Order: sequence, then structure tokens, then C-alpha cells
Amino acid sequence: VATAAHTRPPFWRDVRVLRVAGQAVFVLLIVVVARETFLNLQFGVRRQGIDLSFDFLQQRAGFEIKEGIDYSPSQSFFKAFRVGVVNTIAVASVGILLATVLGLLIGVARLSTNWLIRRIAQTYVEVIRNVPVLVQIIFWYVAVVLALPVIGGGLSVWGVAFLSNRGAAIPWVRAGPGVGAFGLVVLAGLVAAAGAWRWRARVNERTGEPPRRFVYAAGVFLAIVVPGFVATGSPLSIDVPRVERFGYEGGFQASPEYTALLLGLVIYTAAFIAEIIRGSIQAVTKGQKEAAEALGLTPGQQLRLVVLPQALRIAIPPLNSQYLNLTKNSSLAVAIGYPEIISVSGTIINQAGRATQMLLLVMATYLLLSLLISAVMNGLNRLVASRGALR
Amino acid sequence: MSRPPTVPTDIERTVLAEAEEPVVAVAPVAAPVTVGEWVRRNLFSSWSNGLLTIVTSAALGYLAFRLLRFVFVSADWSVLKANLRVYMTGRFPVEELWRVWAAVYLVTALAGISRGMLVRTRWTWARVLSVTVPVVLLIGALLYLVESALVWLLLGVASAVLVAGVVIGRRLGRARRAPLLVAWVLAFPAVIVILRAFGGVKPELWGGFLLNIIVAVVAIFASFPLGLLLALGRRSRLPAVSAFCVAFIEVIRGVPLVAWLFFGQFVLPLLLPPGLALPNIVRAMIMFTVFSAAYVAEIVRGGLQGVPEGQYEAARALGLHPTRMMALVILPQALRSTIPAMISHFISLFKDTSLLAALGLFSELLRNARRASAAIEFIGLQAEALLPAALIFWVVAFSMSRWSHRVERRVGVGER
Repeated sequence: VATAAHTRPPFWRDVRVLRVAGQAVFVLLIVVVARETFLNLQFGVRRQGIDLSFDFLQQRAGFEIKEGIDYSPSQSFFKAFRVGVVNTIAVASVGILLATVLGLLIGVARLSTNWLIRRIAQTYVEVIRNVPVLVQIIFWYVAVVLALPVIGGGLSVWGVAFLSNRGAAIPWVRAGPGVGAFGLVVLAGLVAAAGAWRWRARVNERTGEPPRRFVYAAGVFLAIVVPGFVATGSPLSIDVPRVERFGYEGGFQASPEYTALLLGLVIYTAAFIAEIIRGSIQAVTKGQKEAAEALGLTPGQQLRLVVLPQALRIAIPPLNSQYLNLTKNSSLAVAIGYPEIISVSGTIINQAGRATQMLLLVMATYLLLSLLISAVMNGLNRLVASRGALR
Repeated sequence: MSRPPTVPTDIERTVLAEAEEPVVAVAPVAAPVTVGEWVRRNLFSSWSNGLLTIVTSAALGYLAFRLLRFVFVSADWSVLKANLRVYMTGRFPVEELWRVWAAVYLVTALAGISRGMLVRTRWTWARVLSVTVPVVLLIGALLYLVESALVWLLLGVASAVLVAGVVIGRRLGRARRAPLLVAWVLAFPAVIVILRAFGGVKPELWGGFLLNIIVAVVAIFASFPLGLLLALGRRSRLPAVSAFCVAFIEVIRGVPLVAWLFFGQFVLPLLLPPGLALPNIVRAMIMFTVFSAAYVAEIVRGGLQGVPEGQYEAARALGLHPTRMMALVILPQALRSTIPAMISHFISLFKDTSLLAALGLFSELLRNARRASAAIEFIGLQAEALLPAALIFWVVAFSMSRWSHRVERRVGVGER
């Protein structure tokens, strides 16, 4: 009778040994390749007469950036890079918001009972998503925004909003002194409105009378905020843009590059979001809609109260991916000269020659942005999923 | 029974959820008999719906009028006419263009044979229309654009080759599918040989739409094995291997492709051995391949997750070596279920080749189209210069996605 020691396979066939050996070989291989690559890099960088340190970020940048937060060419490369990061966030955040709204509309239109609306939405999706987004961005920039009339003869919407080849300008709020105090008032108003909302929901549960949560909450909010606005000395005013000779003055101004990039990203991403919305709505079980119908809800109520809340829950993970895609696609701005991360980094590489360090910085920034968006969406996911557990 | 494969959600065009089938077969609603009935049901089912239909039709009619007027009256297509060759092949030397034509004939012949061999079309009116309308439009556009008799002759030969291919394919029959597949795989190296070998044209001079296609095909072919390895590595039980693969895939996917293309131009030459000087375009191809491989890996991983545990157990019970288990049992099932997602990914990769324009180094279709309207005689014709490029991308991407829908239905994803 063989003992345990005898049935043990020789070490070269022992899975435990092989597992460790395999990993050792793999790690060794990676280390060798990495070392070789690093030596090449050091050699190449030295031959170009530069180094691998990040010190150059403190040097004077010396180039203009057309738009974004406060910056002057006498500031450092790092400050310039920061402008790029803020510009990326500026286009991505607004883009995500607008693309979601447009995508939701088109996604719902895809399922309309009206044949014509259905077909239009379908055509939109099929056309937009099969043309590269860069082609669309360049088209909006070169063939639409820059081809608009010059600033004097541009489009004007009732004299308050303008569109010309200098970009767009819309009215915006301007903060005056006392805006901090007013902010606190708004916060208080929101808390009170939330309280009113809860209270009406409870009343509805107890007595069955219509909740009218929105009316009550809005009433409470306005009752606090309007007197508060006057009391803090009217800190906010509407700033209407004016047309000057060489550009707009006041209001919120979007450069031609920003306008074109935003148009391209929003229109492209909305096509994908529409497909996600459609898929999610169709994924809500038919019984839910039939039950809502049986309760006597109108088609609008069925969509708003029963189908969409469940569909959005299904849609959140893929929406997250689309938001990440939109953020990453904002890097295509480099082709039209909107100064976001890649565009500014390209200029820095041209000026300082430290491509390796710059690209490492770019990668770290994008990974961080991705993590940030995913974290927000995961939070949202938890929030939505915890309410009413249907699935 | 198996679970449907989970597919990474950021692959564009992924089908998110199938419409649910009714649990109980419901009595079918009688099909609308008359045109009037159909119109009433689909366009005027209620007051608000009717109003919506009328308003939208008016807007649509106006839009169509403006569009048609633009295409046939106000647009000046001379910029396209003058640059057609640049759109298609960029700086490819004119005296070597026969190489491109030879490659086109090779691919056309294979396409014709495949069609004749594999597709049996039942010709309905709708289908006849869906073929004739694009063909008529294409011929109309070419009548305006192409004046050279030689090009007409070459195009005529191409269509003859296509028809001959279909006829030959019919003769050969479906049984010869394996050699056809081999022919397709060999076609790509053959095209490269035709373009490059025997005093041919250097890759630096390839351009236009030709370059977009070549970059896309290289990346597709090369990224598949790499992605497969990454996917297997990610699922490996050796922590060192899987950690490396996870990090590689996530870093690649978290950073935009443009950044990787910059990396390929500025940093990659420093990382490679000093003696190895690769042309710009080859480095761009490498970056496309690596980028695509990360996505392929995620798709394959989804497919692998869809293979039921029982398949692994059965393979082990048969005493198969892990390598043979993967090659003979697991991968064939996993890969089959990933075909639609894979095609979707390859379509986006094809669209992404336009990103070469963002670097400004390569004469691909989009950059050439943008440049076309920079010439003095074509100033102000930006829309006319860019729209044909958009149309070319759209036609290819759209037909590929249609084809993928057909494949999806035939493969029957989720049901084995």
C-alpha cells in the first residue's frame, strides 16, 4: 500500500510548485522587460538633453491660453495644465447634463406610439452613432460655428442671447455682495422644503388625500427664499450680454471652440444614451406597465411614476460608461484648439520637451476623473437601488 | 442552459436588454387592412398625436426641402471633385495607383465569392429597392464626380469581378467555407504585399481612406490574439498574472485614445531599443492595437463568464489538459457568444481611425477633407468638403452594423 508521500507527484508536476514557479517566471519576465524599457528611456531622454524629473512644471509657461480660469503666460507650466483640467471638467460636466436630457428625450421618442416620431428618433440614432465623433466635432466647428455671420450681424434671440462666429453668449446671474448670506438662506429653504415634502407624503399615507408634495415644497421654498433675497440686499442680478465690436461683454460666453465641442459631444453621446434608455424601458417587465394601466394611470403617469423610475435603475451602470466616454472624447478638442488637458499638454510638450512626464500626468488625471465619475454614479446607483426593491 | 454573456457596457452599441416576450401568447391584433386604417392607428391615434404628426411633418418637409436644395442647388461640389483621389488615397503616388486597384479587385472578388457562397437572398420588393436606390445614387454621384474614362473602365471591371465572384461562389457551394476563411485571412497580408513589395510604396505615403482601412484592419487582426491573452490572464488563478492584466486593461481603457496616440508619437520611440526606428504610422498602429486589445479582453472576459461552470467540470472530468480544455471546450463557446460585441467594437475602432487627424501627422480621410477646403479656390466650402468624408464613414459603419445584426440573429446569442 502506497503512503501519502509516495502518491505525491514529482515537483515538476505538482500544481502548487508550478503555480509559484509560473508566477516567478512571469514576474521575472515583466521585470526584465520593464528594466530594459527604462534603460532605453533613460538613454533616449539623455540623448535629447533632458531629464525625467517633474521640476520643469515649476518653470514659466510663457504661452497664452485663450479661455478658462485666471491664468497668465508668466505663470508656471503646472498652472497652465490646471487650466486645461478645469476646461475639461467645464465641457464634460455641461456635456453630461445636456446629453442626458437629449438622450432621454430621444430614447422615449424611440418608443412613441406615433410612427413618425419613432422613425425620426431611429434615424437620428442610426445616422449620428455611425459617424465618428471627431468628424462631427470638426464639422460643427469648421462648417457651422465658424461659418456663422460675424459678430455684428449674428443671430440674436430677443436681444438677450447671441450666436455668431465669435461663439455664443447667454444671460447669466451675477453675484454681488451678500451672496454668502443668501446661500445660507437657500440652504435653509431647501431643508424646509424637504421637510414639507416628507410631511405631505406622510399625510397622504395616513389620510389618502392627494399629496401635492411638489406644490407644498415649492411654496415653502419660495416663502423662505423670496423674503431672504430682499433681506440680504438682492445679491444676484441677471447679467445680459451686450454685443461689442470685437466680442461679447457680460453674461455667460461660450467660445466657438467650446460651442462646437459641446454640440459634437452632446449630439453624439445622446444617440448612445437614447439606446440605453430605450433598452432599459423595454427591460422593465410588461406586467409593471399593465398593472399601472389597471390602476387607471394615464400614459404620462405610467411612464413618469412606474416605468421610468425602474428603467433608470437599470440604465445607471451603462450610463456611467457613456459619461466616461464623453469625458474621454472631450480630448478630441485638441483638433479644434479648445484648451483642455490634451491640448494644453501638447503645447507644454512642444515647449518643454518632457513628453514622458507630461503623458504620465495626463494619464493620472484622466484615471482620477474616471474614478470620480464612477464614484458619483455608484453613489447614485446605491441611492436609486435602495428605494423600493423590485429587482 | 447558460447565462447570457455579460459584456462590458462601454462597448458602444451593445444590446442592453432584449425586449421581453409575453408570457402567454396573446391573440394577435389584426393587421391594419387599409392604408387609412394604418395611418389612423400610427399617426392620428389621438388629438395630441395628430397635432404632433402635422407639426413634425411640416418641420420635416421644410428640412428635407432645405437639404435637397443644398445638395442639388446651392452646394458647390467642385471641392470633392478635385480632391476625390486625395480623399481615397492621400499622397499615394499616382503612377503606383494600380497597386491599390489590384488590392480592391482582390477584396472585391473575395467579397463576391463569399456572398455567392453564403447568402441566399429571397428577393422581395423592399429588398430590391434597398439595393437599387443606393446603387442608382452612387452611379449618379460618380457620373458627376468621375470624368476619366480610365477610372470608369476600372470601376466597370470591379463590378464585373464582383458579379463573377458571386457566380463562382454559387458554383462552389457552402461546403467550401473553410478555404474561403483561409483566403480572407491571407487576403490582408496579400494586400500589404501588393502595396509595399517589389518597389512599392512606403507606409509613410499611404493615405486617405485607404489608410483608415489599413490601420483598422491591422488593429483588428493584431489586437485579437493580444486581447485573448489578456482576458485569459485576467481570469488566471495566479495573482501576479491577473493583477498585471487587470492593471494593464484598466489603465488603457481609462485614458483617451488621443493620449495614447500622443504616447505612441512622443514616448514610444524612447522606450524601444535605440536602433529601432519605426515610422510614425507603424507606431500609431501599435497604439491602436494595444488600445483595442484592452477592449477585446473585456469582451472575451464577458464571453468566458457566460460559459457555465459545468462545461469546465465536464472537460476536467474527461481528463483534458487545461490548455486543451480552453482551446477545445471553453473558448469556442465563449468566443461564439462574443461575436456581436466584437463586431460592434471593431466598428468603433474603424471610426476611431479618424483620430489620426487629431495628431495632424497622417494624411487620413478626415484630415484630407479638412484640408481640402483650405485651398484658395475652395474657401468657404467647408461643409461640402467634410460631408462626403462623414458619408463615407457612415456608409461603412452602418453597413457593418446591419451585417452584425444579421450575424447576431444567426448565431443566436444566449441560446446554445
